[in-house]
Amino acid sequence: MWVFAGLNLIFLCCAGGLFLFLIFESYPIFKLHGFDFWLGQDWWVGEAYGALPMLYGSTLVTALACLLVLPLALAVAIFISEFLTPTSRRCVKAILELLAGVPGIVYGLLGVSFLSLWIKDVFGLLDGNTLATASCLLAIMILPTVLTLSEDAMRSVPAEYRDNALGLGLSKWQTATAVVLPQALPGIMGAVLLGIGRAMGETIAVMLVVGSLDRIPDPWFNIFSSAQTIPSKLGREAAEAIGEGTHWSALMALGLTLFIMVLLINFIGNRFLKRRSIS
Amino acid sequence: MNPATFEKGMVFFLTILTLLVSSLLLIILATVFAKGLPALHSGFLIEASENFGREGGIIYQLMGTLILMTGAVLISLPVALGSVIYQTQYLKSETGKEICRQFAQMLNATPTILFGLVGYLFFGVYLETGVSWVTGSLILAVMILPTLQVSIREAIEALPDQYKDAGMALGLSPWSQIKTIIIPQCYYGIITGVFLGLARAAGETAAIMFAATTFSGIHLPESFSDPVPTLQTHMLVLTQEAANPEALAQAWSAGLVLLSLVFFLTVMAWILRSRLKMEAEL
Amino acid sequence: MFRMLLFFLVAIGVIPFPVSADHSPKIEIVGSTTVLPIASRAAERFEKLQKIEKFKSSHRLRILVNAGGSGVGIHSVAKGRSDIGMASREISPSERKRFEGSHLKVHTVAVDAVACVISSEIYEAGIRDLTRQEIRDIYLGKIRNWKEVGGPDRKIVVVDKERHRGTRHVFMNYIFGNPTAKTPGTILVTGSNNEEQTKIAQSDSAIGMLSYAWINDEVRAIGIRDNKSIVNLTRETIRKGNYPIVRNLSFITAGEPNGEVKAFLEYLKSPEGQQLVEESGYIPFT
Repeated sequence: MWVFAGLNLIFLCCAGGLFLFLIFESYPIFKLHGFDFWLGQDWWVGEAYGALPMLYGSTLVTALACLLVLPLALAVAIFISEFLTPTSRRCVKAILELLAGVPGIVYGLLGVSFLSLWIKDVFGLLDGNTLATASCLLAIMILPTVLTLSEDAMRSVPAEYRDNALGLGLSKWQTATAVVLPQALPGIMGAVLLGIGRAMGETIAVMLVVGSLDRIPDPWFNIFSSAQTIPSKLGREAAEAIGEGTHWSALMALGLTLFIMVLLINFIGNRFLKRRSIS
Repeated sequence: MNPATFEKGMVFFLTILTLLVSSLLLIILATVFAKGLPALHSGFLIEASENFGREGGIIYQLMGTLILMTGAVLISLPVALGSVIYQTQYLKSETGKEICRQFAQMLNATPTILFGLVGYLFFGVYLETGVSWVTGSLILAVMILPTLQVSIREAIEALPDQYKDAGMALGLSPWSQIKTIIIPQCYYGIITGVFLGLARAAGETAAIMFAATTFSGIHLPESFSDPVPTLQTHMLVLTQEAANPEALAQAWSAGLVLLSLVFFLTVMAWILRSRLKMEAEL
Repeated sequence: MFRMLLFFLVAIGVIPFPVSADHSPKIEIVGSTTVLPIASRAAERFEKLQKIEKFKSSHRLRILVNAGGSGVGIHSVAKGRSDIGMASREISPSERKRFEGSHLKVHTVAVDAVACVISSEIYEAGIRDLTRQEIRDIYLGKIRNWKEVGGPDRKIVVVDKERHRGTRHVFMNYIFGNPTAKTPGTILVTGSNNEEQTKIAQSDSAIGMLSYAWINDEVRAIGIRDNKSIVNLTRETIRKGNYPIVRNLSFITAGEPNGEVKAFLEYLKSPEGQQLVEESGYIPFT
């Protein structure tokens, strides 16, 4: 028995250890700058370490991706869950699971070769590496996951609801939108949040298309300017500072911030997924 | 417009949307294949890469990826198996189980770049495994732990109670029960988890790019402290040369190989999962 | 059947286990993407030479060359994570201070120039040279359109590099007098020489900084205009010292090199090594 308990302990340590490590490594920069770390707009190694541009970039890119994904995911989830035959449903779910497993670097390649150039042409931009490009790419990446979980949420609404509604004379469409959908809402919220969590953490694909400019766009809502997200920043700068020093501590602090944000979002998302129905 | 027509219209619209989303996979596959075709030649999977990766094949990159994923699963499997067995067979308190569940979710949600950075510091620097395939496998092992756990847990919970009851009726100790009943019966679940874990580890770039890889100089690792070339990092370097069509074609071909690998593993996992369900229903 | 699969998996996992007790030595080289072509070519030739000189292959030397940028190269070798760091710039004062204990030694191997490059479309439209002030104003964001300097009416895509990159240090040092100058006019940040070259080639109104060896049909170098004279970028102007943005390409070691590292560095400085430098597009140092 002790063998198994020990193995379980290793598992717990891995999870907890990561968190503790991040806190430990980022302590120096917080001691130095305090909360100004999150508010500073300037990231210039050796002088200032302000995380705001990265925080802003991460938030905006994720929010935009979410906006793009939500209507599509909702629409298709309704269709799969309520209108599709079991066989077709299994088929589509299989396709979604395959899509969800596509490696990030493949998306990165697609982004650099197609999306970036396409967005540049369509919107007449100076360059295709922008917040908008990263958002689109992320939207495509998280679509399968959000879709599949939303569909699960709709599917798990008990059959009685549908039967009752149909018995009352509602059409399939009305049943789907007016009865099943509201019941599945918590599950769908959960799905979206989990998708956001994944989008926030994606490094490779974003790093190649977001532009890597440590600056809040001017004006702030200009999604067609280059910007920076936390994982992209880590991906580009970590090799230079790895190990110790103020720079490293600042990067770890960025990592810690990301970790906490993603954790919170996932926690709330999972909570929603558990509460499948409102009643 | 009368409601019936509106609904028919909506259903039609949704059908198109669903078809579009489903064809996304096909589009991605077709693109990767079409772009990768120029560089795909008969020896692609067997030759070494040349000229800064712009020519030749990707045999050593493929081996590197395979070594990392296999190492990851070999390290992760005992821990995953052990921890799930502990949580299902020995752990009685609900809070304990809840804590374990939360930790698993925490591990699963962590951005992979953090695995790479913290993992390198912990394994590579403190435990002195350096930049090597061992460090890479260790990091990936931690990363796929939740993936393995989910499949194993599914398998154990799908075991009909009669089996466990029979074991207890026979007076077997918990350990004997595990050894003779649970593990053999959960065989398919465990292997499903292995394949899903392999698929996940294969696609991971951010976790290993600082800790385990090299672009040139090593063919097969010869010791525990050698880094390895991988498909993922090979693609990353080539992608940054997007203006050079040769380099890009090589990147696409490597991408095709990687994608095929991941899909193959996922499909294998499905086949195994359906076998698991069949067994459970018997 | 699945048992066979499992066996196959384990077999793959076992491949890297050391076959011989003493494994072959390796040299790890990390750093500047400008110096990388030289290192890669030299590594290949040097490894082949080793095979001829030492017939027994049990001590075959392996040389790993990886990119990352000058800053990463210097950091890496100072911390002992690599044997040699490649740098396309001087070690900065702050780096010298940080890595005092590592006793970094610089071995210069080639000379290179940093070109101010523009997209070929702008070059074709007539822009062949700019003054230092104009380049400064472009990177500061004061000049935003090519027509302000005599070109077509197009917004300038100002391409910058990551802060620690050697090419950037050298370029900024000339333009601003400060190797880590801030550039509010930047539109896009790239990393390696490859990435920057790609971006400028893909755009039709970009300006950037690149090593001389990376110039091609899509990415053209402009001359630097002084009050009266224009210095264009050719091998002659680099060699004679007329072109103002010139730098040394070096391999850096922590302390004095010995063994294989020393042999490799000596190979680089030998006539054969210098030949490789020329093949890579740079100017030999000796």
